[in-house]
Amino acid sequence: MTFVERRGTMAQDGPHSQTIAVIGGGIAGLTAALEAAETGYDVILIEKEPALGGRVTRLNRYFPKFCHPTCGLEINYQRLRKNPRVKVLTMHEVVAVDGEKGNYTITAKKLPRFVNEKCTACGECGKVCETEIDDPYNYGMSKVKAARLPHEHAWPMRYVIDPVVKGTDDQKRIEEACKYGAVDFSEEEEEVTINAGAIVWATGWRPYDARKLETYHYDSSPDIINNVEMERLANHDGPTGGKVVRPSNGEPAKKVALIQCAGSRDVNHLPYCSMICCLASLKHAAYVLEQYEDAEVHMYYIDIRAHDKMQTFYERLKVDPRLKFIKSKPAEIGLGEDGRPYVKGERTIDRELYCESYDLVVLATGMEPEAKGVDIKGDVVKDEDGFVLALEGEDGGQFSCGVAAGPFDVALSTMSGTAAALKAIQAVGAR
Amino acid sequence: MTAVPTPSRTYDLSFARWVRENVEGGDKLNMCMQCGMCSGSCPNGQEMDNGPRKLFMMVRAGLKDEVLSSSTLWECTSCYRCYVRCPRGIPVTTIVQHLAALAAKEGYAPKNKVENYFFSKAFWWSAESFGKTDERLVTMKYFFSFGFGEGIRKALDNLKIALGMIKAGRMHIGLPHTIKNKSQLKAMIAKAKELEQKG
Ligand SMILES: Cc1cc2nc3c(=O)[nH]c(=O)nc-3n(C[C@H](O)[C@H](O)[C@H](O)COP(=O)(O)OP(=O)(O)OC[C@H]3O[C@@H](n4cnc5c(N)ncnc54)[C@H](O)[C@@H]3O)c2cc1C
Ligand code: SF4
Ligand code: SF4
Repeated sequence: MTFVERRGTMAQDGPHSQTIAVIGGGIAGLTAALEAAETGYDVILIEKEPALGGRVTRLNRYFPKFCHPTCGLEINYQRLRKNPRVKVLTMHEVVAVDGEKGNYTITAKKLPRFVNEKCTACGECGKVCETEIDDPYNYGMSKVKAARLPHEHAWPMRYVIDPVVKGTDDQKRIEEACKYGAVDFSEEEEEVTINAGAIVWATGWRPYDARKLETYHYDSSPDIINNVEMERLANHDGPTGGKVVRPSNGEPAKKVALIQCAGSRDVNHLPYCSMICCLASLKHAAYVLEQYEDAEVHMYYIDIRAHDKMQTFYERLKVDPRLKFIKSKPAEIGLGEDGRPYVKGERTIDRELYCESYDLVVLATGMEPEAKGVDIKGDVVKDEDGFVLALEGEDGGQFSCGVAAGPFDVALSTMSGTAAALKAIQAVGAR
Repeated sequence: MTAVPTPSRTYDLSFARWVRENVEGGDKLNMCMQCGMCSGSCPNGQEMDNGPRKLFMMVRAGLKDEVLSSSTLWECTSCYRCYVRCPRGIPVTTIVQHLAALAAKEGYAPKNKVENYFFSKAFWWSAESFGKTDERLVTMKYFFSFGFGEGIRKALDNLKIALGMIKAGRMHIGLPHTIKNKSQLKAMIAKAKELEQKG
């Protein structure tokens, strides 16, 4: 950890660090880091996962144009390769921040990767490794070797080994298989501190825990999934190779229910509108309609929120007669006697009570800020929902962007990333 | 409490405003986003003409007669499912119950519902005052809920039954049944009411 140590000594140089720390390497953090570095500032990009990119790496396509998330990420990685000013720390989870503008101390938990920078991603360790774990890239919908590349577009392109193999025969096999001296099981979890003059929070989101929606019985059937799992189902490198099928038996999922506001706009869960899930569900409808000629998709909604230009995206999909919109917040979802999930509630247009069976039910769970558990002190606040906000009118050095700041789509996340970079530059001052 | 207004025009807000101010929980009604969670959750929903969601929309639309004569008011079993599930935190059950009470008072309720309403009031009065229900007092209170003349008539009608019951030792004579620490009960009820107020 020579780099962190070097920053550590910098802290002793004086209280006016001009380094900008970006916490979170998703699309928003990547943007903020690159924008600041490209104007000549030193940036430390701190990411808790083994690879950058955040949640969008696990999306299949982007609304409204159905382009591939990897495309935009790749452009950013190229900018990153060209720019020595951005130092990337992966597997560093920030747990606390203290200090003031010009002199912040960031405490991070450094998690062992057991693979160093000599790794060429040849894959020999993965071949010999016998232990399998739930693949976090696929939200546990499939298994993966404990020694693995996080995913095919990973940056850095470096293997990671799960701690479960430590002390097992797999450890020996893996150590022997690596021809480049890249495997190092002596790594331990440790706490490190990082010094910076300004901070950009870009910690993003996690899907709201569907298990908390008690009446939706998420655990009762593998055919009741959430929307991030739907993205994996549709993706070519997902658990089914891109086929939207019933996870319970692999049969085609032709009759699909999309359940809006699963946890959002609900005082018992997330009180705010997550902004993107109506559009994500419309995208999910398109995934199903594309795959099956005789598909039948029902979208259960309170109101469809396709903001500004997204209205055309909605209008475009709406004309397909195979897609039906049902104005109702379902009261109950569960596993029916026929082995298929059912959806029950009141259709509010005509007050009919319904109970309908489906091949697959997708809960459009909202985005919950990931920074909820992080101890933040100083010139920034977390609002009652856990979003990180710079204090209005304060002369502080901490800013936020992306979903750390609010429920944004990718376009807004990158815009706010650029804005936060500019604020951070102003905070650390001219060079 | 002002008299319940009868809307005269389409989109007359007077009834909605009155409910907002005079019905317990009515001030939260404008938070309703018509999602259907309440009506979809109701175990007795099949029996209701409107269900809470539609009923609330009817309040907003000023449909006083339709609201106060809705079967929904009487089919509610107070299971509180809608109350705990409402995503806007609206005390659905409370509002439905208080609209039912209003319907009884305003003469909209079916005869047997009015009787139920008076009876439960008498029952609660006895339980709250004595910590026990005294069958004679509950009955008298209930009879006189219909007015003085009607009370006398009902009492006389039932005199024979009452005497029979006393003879058979099924109804006692003397002071009303009561519990020991009535003040503690009062404190408990006061606390419960306070908690209910807080939601
Ligand atoms: C089902 C679904 C589909 C979607 N589809 C689309 C779409 O088609 N088009 C679109 O525009 N938007 C879409 N979105 C929204 C999009 O995913 C977000 O706008 C985007 O992910 C926001 O990026 P971010 O960088 O703010 O957050 P994230 O992607 O969450 O990145 C945050 C990063 O910070 C890291 N991190 C978190 N905490 C810490 C910590 N303590 N220390 C260090 N690192 C940390 C995380 O590991 C992560 O890498 C969709 C959302 C959902 C739920
Ligand atoms: S975007 Fe749609 S599904 Fe998501 S919370 Fe808002 S209204 Fe509900
Ligand atoms: S559940 Fe609440 S918000 Fe939804 S319709 Fe019923 S009262 Fe209105």
